[in-house]
Amino acid sequence: MIEINKVSKWYGSFQVLTDCTTQIAKGEVVVVCGPSGSGKSTLIKCVNGLEPIQQGNIAVNGTAINDPKTDLPKLRARVGMVFQHFELFPHMSIIKNLSIGQVKVLGRSEDEAHAKGMKLLERVGLKAHANKYPGEMSGGQQQRVAIARALSMDPICMLFDEPTSALDPEMINEVLDVMVELAHEGMTMMVVTHEMGFARKVANRVVFMDQGKIVEDAAKEEFFGQPRSERAQQFLSKILHH
Amino acid sequence: MNYHWNWGIFFQQVSSSDDTYLDWIITGLGWTVAVAMSAWVIALVLGSIMGTLRTVQSKPLVMVGTVWVELFRNVPILVQLFIWFFVVPELLPRDLSLWVKQDMPGKEFFTATLALGLFTSARVAEQVRAGIQSLSRGQRYAGLALGFTEAQTYRYVILPMAFRFIIPPLTSEFMNAFKNSAVAFAIGVMDLTFISRQMVEESGQVIESLLAATVLYVICAMAANRVMSFIEKRSHVPGFILAK
Ligand SMILES: Nc1ncnc2c1ncn2[C@@H]1O[C@H](COP(=O)(O)OP(=O)(O)OP(=O)(O)O)[C@@H](O)[C@H]1O
Ligand SMILES: [Mg+2]
Repeated sequence: MIEINKVSKWYGSFQVLTDCTTQIAKGEVVVVCGPSGSGKSTLIKCVNGLEPIQQGNIAVNGTAINDPKTDLPKLRARVGMVFQHFELFPHMSIIKNLSIGQVKVLGRSEDEAHAKGMKLLERVGLKAHANKYPGEMSGGQQQRVAIARALSMDPICMLFDEPTSALDPEMINEVLDVMVELAHEGMTMMVVTHEMGFARKVANRVVFMDQGKIVEDAAKEEFFGQPRSERAQQFLSKILHH
Repeated sequence: MNYHWNWGIFFQQVSSSDDTYLDWIITGLGWTVAVAMSAWVIALVLGSIMGTLRTVQSKPLVMVGTVWVELFRNVPILVQLFIWFFVVPELLPRDLSLWVKQDMPGKEFFTATLALGLFTSARVAEQVRAGIQSLSRGQRYAGLALGFTEAQTYRYVILPMAFRFIIPPLTSEFMNAFKNSAVAFAIGVMDLTFISRQMVEESGQVIESLLAATVLYVICAMAANRVMSFIEKRSHVPGFILAK
């Protein structure tokens, strides 16, 4: 579903990504972790072309992201993305946040988009909040709306960039629960997170990054059993014993 | 002080015509409002476009916006006005040039509006750019990730919030449009400034004439301010905290 092949990227003369290669098969859940500044966010933004790459190639569902002929908006519409800081549109009501993409990008009717939005809100337990504005909701609620917004476009895969790291501890689980449910339904997911509980529960593989390189790409059992690289071992022990 | 006050002057007739001085002042107010409002419309439209261009991906478009702003912002408004009025007509093709110089109806009004509109557009553009850049980069990512094109991302995500951010500075630009419109008298538009100077000459009542103009300018600026704060209230986003 997602193929990342020998990808390198520079910001000016600073190399953020070096020769990154990994694949995510349909229905697979891959967790990406690594120290701050290692390039996780950058890599995940390259997957749907929010950031351009200078070397290598990335294909989503067989479509090359870095091919100038690719209709990027069309492809992005089918790749759901959830951000660390939610990024709901603050001037739109919750239901409008869920319907605008469907109407303006997919061409659905207002009624259809509204109905689908309400169904998704119900699913994430926020139906009663449809007419509120993002600023009136807690972080956990906003992030659940953000997931629902991504789902409203009927994505073929989902990208998450540290979806719980801006949340107060008591709100983390309400968001993780939604994500676990998605994983169980067979959604293809690439998740940057340090929530190792989540990784243990639903991940198929764990990718560990350090200084712009993928230093470990292993099945979950293997990664948590005994990571090969010393950096991954150090990182794990820090994360698990903090 | 042996100034001879005469507040009744406004109801006296101007010696050379049937009009009272009050009629004059009202005409002057009309031209001031007409120049300022038309210039503001031009400034808002062009300023929004140019300010937006300075933030897009395409380098040539950024360049267009930058040149526009630097050009119209860095030359004094009075100089710009004279250039439009005296220089530009000379540069036009011969027939058009003759027409502009001799026959064009409302030439003074048109020129003053254009000059003030372009001058103010550069200032509006800077505010729009600042508003866009004060939004988090994540909002742009979120719009694009949803499948919006760059244009749609601006239309639905970035500009609605950017404009909300910049209502306060836009308010002062709107008020400035009224104050700056006073340069129009220099090319013969019969605005408040023109009329009050004329009235001083005809009637000799310096203080009454200038005070009338002053009060009306203040009222215009305050009206502009009220309009903008009404818009600000109407566009308030529930639960949104500005400091981000
Ligand atoms: N727009 C940019 N311009 C220049 N450098 C950037 C830019 N974005 C990120 N970087 C740099 O690239 C490196 C990788 O950043 P990235 O955000 O991908 O890291 P990360 O692994 O997601 O870190 P974190 O865990 O803190 O989110 C960092 O050194 C960062 O400073
Ligand atoms: Mg990051």
